Amino acid sequence: MKVSYNWLKTLLKLNTTPEKLADILTMNFAETTVKSLGKRPVLDVELGSNQVAWASGHLSLAREIGACLGKKFVLPEPKIKENKTLAKNLLTLDIQTSNCKYYSARILQGVKVKESPQWLKERLSDCGIRPINNLVDAANYVMLETGQPLHVFDFDKLNSEQKTIIVRQAKNKEKINALDGQNYILNKEMMVIADKKQPIALAGIKGGQETGVNKETKNIILESANFVGNNIHLTSKNLGLKTDASWRFEHNIPFELTVYALDRLAGLIQQVAGGDILKGSVKKVKDISGWKQEKIEIPIKWENWEKFLGWPINKKKIIKNLSLLGFSLKEKKEYLLVTPPQFRNDLKIKEDVMGEVARLEGINRIVSVLPREQLKLPTKNEFWVFREKIKDWLKGCGLEEIYNYSFLSEKDKKSLPIQWQEKMIEIENPTSALTKYLRPTFLVNFLKNINYNFRFTDTIRFFEIGKVYSLKEESFVFGGVLAQKIKSNNQLFFQAKGILEGLMDSFGIGSHDYILKPLSKTRFSDLLKQGVAIYKEEDLIGVLGQPQDFLKKDYDCEGEIIYWEIGLSSLFNFINEEREFQSLPKYPAVIRDISFMIPQNILIDQVLRIIQGASPSYLEEVDLFDIYVGKNLPQGNKSLSFHLIFRSQKHTLENKEVDKEIEKIYKALKILGAKIR
Amino acid sequence: MNLEQLEQIAKEGIALAQDAQSLEQWRIQYLGRKSALSLFFNSLSKLSLQERKTQGEKANKIHKLLKNLYIIKKDEIEKGANELNKGSSNFLDITQPGDKKTQGHLHPLTLVSRDIIASFEKMGFSIIEGPEIEKEYYNFDALNIPADHPAREMWDTLWIKPTSKKQKSKTLLRTHTSPMQVRFMEKNQPPFRIIVPGRCFRYEATDSSHEIQFYQIEGLMVGEDINLSNFKAIISEIIKDIFKDNVSVRFRPSFFPFVSPGVEVDIRQELKGDKSNNNWLEIMGAGMVHPALFKRVDYENNRWQGFAFGLGVERIAMIKYKIDDIRLFFNPDIRFLEQF
Repeated sequence: MKVSYNWLKTLLKLNTTPEKLADILTMNFAETTVKSLGKRPVLDVELGSNQVAWASGHLSLAREIGACLGKKFVLPEPKIKENKTLAKNLLTLDIQTSNCKYYSARILQGVKVKESPQWLKERLSDCGIRPINNLVDAANYVMLETGQPLHVFDFDKLNSEQKTIIVRQAKNKEKINALDGQNYILNKEMMVIADKKQPIALAGIKGGQETGVNKETKNIILESANFVGNNIHLTSKNLGLKTDASWRFEHNIPFELTVYALDRLAGLIQQVAGGDILKGSVKKVKDISGWKQEKIEIPIKWENWEKFLGWPINKKKIIKNLSLLGFSLKEKKEYLLVTPPQFRNDLKIKEDVMGEVARLEGINRIVSVLPREQLKLPTKNEFWVFREKIKDWLKGCGLEEIYNYSFLSEKDKKSLPIQWQEKMIEIENPTSALTKYLRPTFLVNFLKNINYNFRFTDTIRFFEIGKVYSLKEESFVFGGVLAQKIKSNNQLFFQAKGILEGLMDSFGIGSHDYILKPLSKTRFSDLLKQGVAIYKEEDLIGVLGQPQDFLKKDYDCEGEIIYWEIGLSSLFNFINEEREFQSLPKYPAVIRDISFMIPQNILIDQVLRIIQGASPSYLEEVDLFDIYVGKNLPQGNKSLSFHLIFRSQKHTLENKEVDKEIEKIYKALKILGAKIR
Repeated sequence: MNLEQLEQIAKEGIALAQDAQSLEQWRIQYLGRKSALSLFFNSLSKLSLQERKTQGEKANKIHKLLKNLYIIKKDEIEKGANELNKGSSNFLDITQPGDKKTQGHLHPLTLVSRDIIASFEKMGFSIIEGPEIEKEYYNFDALNIPADHPAREMWDTLWIKPTSKKQKSKTLLRTHTSPMQVRFMEKNQPPFRIIVPGRCFRYEATDSSHEIQFYQIEGLMVGEDINLSNFKAIISEIIKDIFKDNVSVRFRPSFFPFVSPGVEVDIRQELKGDKSNNNWLEIMGAGMVHPALFKRVDYENNRWQGFAFGLGVERIAMIKYKIDDIRLFFNPDIRFLEQF
């Protein structure tokens, strides 16, 4: 909210500079910045949504600044001279909706519409309001002064002989031509001010063209009312029309402002536009029970203050601060009975009241004391630690950690296979077509990342840990991608596989603990090809493979790409970090190398199982150290070489014993079709 | 002494110099103000023009040579090369670069989160996590932010499209990590201290300082005597831990419906020299937990009190690494990532 420093200065006889004032407000009231300096400094006070109702006028703000500075500020009483004609003889009120809690009006006759005096125009412009004519300007000025929005109708433009103002809910599809030149179509939830024929204003938000004042206007009706904040808020939201008035009303401004502001306005209009103020105001209270809100009395024990705020504060200070803020107080032996001022609709509990004292004392100034609590270790969040360990491992493998958006666009959705599309979560109110869906996989984002980063590098190694979303659930996954512009002979696949195997090994998950299966049985077979799926028994842990060609084409990614996506909660469930020491071997190992040729379609996994199965008691380790395909080998064959490590726990193995084991292994391999070299 | 002789002796002398001290002695002896060469230069004027020319030139050459020897030797001694090569026949050039070992990089938000979380863990806070897709109740109603209340406008929300008309409660992308306050308290009794890090979302057009998604670290500490002053002390300690002594902190009043009173925490970097760009930056909204929340989770009346806060991770990262555009975090660019 823009505030005129000079205006406040006049009200409070301030001698603080604008900068100093902004600082005091920031530290004791609400964040304030100096918008412009010079002859007419302007401050911007960011009122909290609890403060708008009772501090959105210069007078109320002056009162609050006074409290911060230790001065009591008293609102000036409005003084007006009325003539003898009774206003209520010329105007009838008919309040038909409970959304209007209080309505008051005054009538002025014989006013002269013209430009406002310079001082008035300056104050409006400083506060960000464009001057129009003296009547409209006066209404805006009194709003800036008191915080109460006001409106001026042209008396003669109201339909019918006996002028009547009706406050009612709009009819469905009823229209109003508002002062901003727009036509609004209304519904039953919206409240209007109407004459006998049609709506003449959107209650609490904006006036209508039909009864607006112009150069010919002579007789006017001033409106000052109190509306249910919620209703104004909804109407303003639904029409997309936020005004200085609706902003104040939606926070439920205090009742006592209604008549006060009405009289201030009558007086000011007479000062700047002449005319006669008719005797008395026309007013109606719809909801008597709400008119005088229940007086709240909050007892606060004397010992509560230090317990809650944390520093000793003496009774005198408490009482002084609360009095400055307008509280009524009753001092008792054990406690203080406080009643917040009527206008403070935001103070309901003792914590609110203690907070007010803390605010005036200055939260920044008070002492800081560390709590006296039990020395207790925090509970270790294992899943969190697990994820952070993965990050460190991948960093060690030379990968860059990335964070992508959780969103996919309409276009992204269309590029995915239909089974994936069906499970995607849609955003009801996306900011643009780019943020319409939540990602069901990292793959799409990663392809975009590759396309973008290939501009700066030939090889990409990225990983991300974050959530994917489906209609069923949101879950943490760990995705990664290796990409290079120049195609290789499946190098990236084995690099990626090595990274994953090593990672799992570091969590105590050995190759015996999981099964590799073809991708074809998983939902990822639509997205990836030439890859593997990692299973723990029947549960899919993750996948590794190349993106399908149509995806590479859609996202314009050339070259070799390997992508993986691992479900983190499934992986987490089967980590085994327990380690148990095994005594060091007492007898030496015997190492033998074997080499053989075997048909290419026999999987390494099969070969390993056969070798291990053939020598269950002595074979300790099998290590593949060479694979050869090509020259000197018959078509469709590969040559494999292994280190075999034998050891007995009971004695030193003799060569003869090892020869026997090797024989067994050869025999088993021959069944698979191996030719020993 | 003739010049050739001088040159010879000087060369032998420098070969023997093994450390900085003996080298310095050599320098004074052969290049100093009272060295034979200097004295020779001083006496040049006494010689004939012809001699002056030939002898002078020769002396200059020697001076240059000795000076070069000195520089090389000095460098050698400083790098300790002499030490290493002593008694060894194969020469080791210790200035040759080592074998290159590279690692990848962690994202700045990971690094900063770890820093912050480590500080809170030292203070005994446990890490808790919550869902990103949240119920309207936990994100708003349970936090004293009823529907159609102007206060809700502090949180521009992305709503999830309901999959069927029967769906009763609305879901949304959480606009802050605060829903975990109520979720956690529903299942746990005080005293406790927790932090809740996580991704949050706002309906927001992106620019250099606004993002549609961001990270927050929520904190909640509740006990019988946890007070406002404790909050100040803990936050001050943590900020000191994260930023060393390079920032100042300030606490000022603010408003959030689920705390009373509300507090905003700003920090300012203490720059040396140029202070023109030295503004207070908001990093945290906080306050004393509103008793209505305790009531909502059926805690014993008037027994517990404590504080809650929400810290913006991007803000801290931007201050710490002097990053000027928030969009860099979520648009992976190798040139950015490699810097951390």
